[in-house]
Amino acid sequence: MPHTLTAELQQIVGKTNVLDAAVNLQLYSYDAYLEERRPDAVVFVHSTDEVARIVRACNRHGVPFVPRGGGTNLSGGTIPVKGGVVIEMIRMNRILEVDLPNLRARVQPGLFNLELGNALAPLGYQYLPDPASQKAATLGGNVAENSGGPHCFKYGVTTNHVLGLTVVLPDGEVARIGGKAPDTPGYDLTGAFVGSEGTLGICTEVVVRIVRLAEGVKTLLAIYDRIEAGSETVSAIVSAGMVPATLEMMDQLVIQAVEESIHCGLPLDCATVLIIEVDGLRDDLERQAREIADLCRAHGAREVRVAKDDAERAALWAGRRGAFGAVARITPSYLVCDGTVPRTALPAVLKKVAEVGRKYDLRIPNVFHAGDGNLHPLILFDWRNKEQKARVMQAGMEILQTCVAAGGTISGEHGVGIEKMDAMRLVFGEPEIEVQRKLKRAFDPKDLANPGKMFPAPQEVRHAA
Amino acid sequence: MPPEAGGLTRRLSELVGGEHLLGGPAAAGFAVDGSTPLLVVRPGTQQEVEAVVAACAVVGAAIGPRGGGTAVGLGNPPARLDVVVCLDRLTRIVEFDPANLVVSAEAGVRLADLQRVLAAEREFLPLDPPRMDRRTVGGVIASNASGPSRLLYGTARDLVLGLRVVLPSGERVRCGGKVIKNVSGYDMNKVFIGSLGTLGIITEATFKLLPAPAGRATVAGVFADLPRAAAVVTRALESFLLPEGMELLDPQALAAVAPGLGLEGSGGYGLAVAVAGSQETVERQARDFTQLLSEGTAIRTNRLGPEASLAAWRGIRDLPDRLLGSEGVAVKIGVPISRTAPFLASAEDLARRHGWRVAIAAHAGSGVVRAVYAAGAAAPEVVRDGVEALRREAEAAEGSLVVEAAPAALKRHLDAWGKTGEGFAVMRRLKAEFDPRGLMNPGRFLGGI
Repeated sequence: MPHTLTAELQQIVGKTNVLDAAVNLQLYSYDAYLEERRPDAVVFVHSTDEVARIVRACNRHGVPFVPRGGGTNLSGGTIPVKGGVVIEMIRMNRILEVDLPNLRARVQPGLFNLELGNALAPLGYQYLPDPASQKAATLGGNVAENSGGPHCFKYGVTTNHVLGLTVVLPDGEVARIGGKAPDTPGYDLTGAFVGSEGTLGICTEVVVRIVRLAEGVKTLLAIYDRIEAGSETVSAIVSAGMVPATLEMMDQLVIQAVEESIHCGLPLDCATVLIIEVDGLRDDLERQAREIADLCRAHGAREVRVAKDDAERAALWAGRRGAFGAVARITPSYLVCDGTVPRTALPAVLKKVAEVGRKYDLRIPNVFHAGDGNLHPLILFDWRNKEQKARVMQAGMEILQTCVAAGGTISGEHGVGIEKMDAMRLVFGEPEIEVQRKLKRAFDPKDLANPGKMFPAPQEVRHAA
Repeated sequence: MPPEAGGLTRRLSELVGGEHLLGGPAAAGFAVDGSTPLLVVRPGTQQEVEAVVAACAVVGAAIGPRGGGTAVGLGNPPARLDVVVCLDRLTRIVEFDPANLVVSAEAGVRLADLQRVLAAEREFLPLDPPRMDRRTVGGVIASNASGPSRLLYGTARDLVLGLRVVLPSGERVRCGGKVIKNVSGYDMNKVFIGSLGTLGIITEATFKLLPAPAGRATVAGVFADLPRAAAVVTRALESFLLPEGMELLDPQALAAVAPGLGLEGSGGYGLAVAVAGSQETVERQARDFTQLLSEGTAIRTNRLGPEASLAAWRGIRDLPDRLLGSEGVAVKIGVPISRTAPFLASAEDLARRHGWRVAIAAHAGSGVVRAVYAAGAAAPEVVRDGVEALRREAEAAEGSLVVEAAPAALKRHLDAWGKTGEGFAVMRRLKAEFDPRGLMNPGRFLGGI
């Protein structure tokens, strides 16, 4: 990176907001994925204007830039694989406006997802997408990854709740797209931008939909001795015409890890538990909970518990939300797979995941959004063991292939990043990838916004023999 | 072009069969804003759409895709129109997977037909745009059409899981998939939803479905003035209640649908509220809304059961389209939710000032106001100035005004979409990437795209 650019960056944000010492760069060389690459500089930004000026400077010098929020993404989205400037968004963390009459909030991207929830709850409102990492994941990161969470089955993912953005385009131009009003004329650039993993520009403001908190909620825990029985119950509940807010599963290894670290009263000897939550108007919640409990028992649940109060409910959720962290305590490293399949394929796919574990001699606990058909097999390993890591990668790929073969896809909510660039070819042919490149070029003709992500390497030209 | 020069007529006839190719006077019925296409071609399969588009690309023929024709008035007059590609023979329901609440259907499937198939398994697609009897799967996505129930269920961008699209080159690609969570690459579905055929032709769509609600009811009331009706909407939005749709109706719109709502003979403003769900919640919501309407000093209220509700809402959502004569002007205003009623009033004022007739129905709670004007013998410039004044007001409120239908003579003076906005440079590049020769519905979209 040219020295003149460093000077320009310092001029824009002040010397103290530009990091270029080796130790600092090392800290920004990784995220929750398994790769590392140091940036050439890290810049802390505080306003749309600063972001625009920095991006303009990068653009002028042809230097890549990568926006970064909480760094919780699991696919390497914030690792600066081509070097350049990491733009640290975390200080742009204000709630700019809570507009109750219009059911919208306007927030800066560095705000943690949970902080928005905490600000809205006393007013009786909520922002629905709630990824499990919500304590540390930012709204800007949620936009970039189109984050999901445990309530997607009923309420959708980030894209369904983001209605407008202020974005700094890769040439440094600032554009407000979408907004508080519905159906903005023209192409749905907001929709295209959500889930673009920082490759189309940087969002500096987000307009989100907010809704009233549900009047009532019932949370159930169903305990099974057979894992298939759990996933069969999920399909049965949906077939019965019910739309629970949550249908989450954890298997025995995860439960044991969770109990070791959080102690939320989960039985250690069962094969799997289902956390089921129904919410909405309170009038039918009792009946729904009863019918769901009956279905669970009919499909082999040995016990069904209904959370009696908020404290019991909070304990169940602490277990689920803490699952990834808890598993981290029992293994030096793990790879989170993120395949999605049609819900009815879950039992067969889970069986296959177990087979993959045996084949590669790896432990693979499961915690996942069963209602969405979104699996998260966690492949445990030790990063110091190179041979084992290679097996992990192969096993991960085989699990994704299984998902695709079952009519699913390679990522439900964690994104492509660098992890799944090659796996893109499992679901898309060259023409389909080329269509996505068109979108990229329309936003970022010079390929400076988070380059080296999402797209698989070009296919080798096959010469006739 | 002309098409004969490149042998396009012969080529298309070979591809789809002569009986599915219209030209000359037979094509006149497919005119768009006064432009008559040279040819109208009706491919019977998605593969035939590919071949037709490829053949048009070879000779540089400009294409206008068409489904049920319900949204043919949307957009500016075409810059060129050589071939209308009619998707009405693509009527296959490719895969209906009730257990996973997913359906894939070809572009020409009419929404009403699709809903009938889904209903047999007690499921439905929660999209209720006007004229479901004619509107097609491809059309509803390309025009991003919606209806009153978007309040609870959202719009196409919330319900489309996957698409198959024939690109301007004739190549067919897949976007998305058939799972409800999918971040494998960019969300390309969003690029095509509402793109009005300017990036390619949608030939198949996969939707997320919902279980059919066990119960349904409608509560409707008549109010002496708009503020009273609007105040009920505000209170409803502040409550825990979860209505499926809330429609505000001006006196003319109310008069047109009053028989279906059981509110004949009462002048004033209407508010109709649809509720759907379990029997318990329907009962509770109907009760609470009846009370809200009474407390809001409704002159009269009425409650409809499930069957009467379905019929009444068909009437409500089809209202603007039904009242639109060949000389009518239909506009759709999109504003922040709390500005819905004020903009209903503004739309009314415009008619009052000029002595035009108007009927207005607003998706209260969603920020959508649809007005149909009959401007009589008013000069096009006068209508244009009036609509543009209303548009400026909407744009000043962070919103928009789209002309959904107007006589061709007026459309030459009145832009359909309004200001282009800050992301327009990206939109233009997007169009250039997909359709560098400008052959797909040229000139009809925002800013001349």
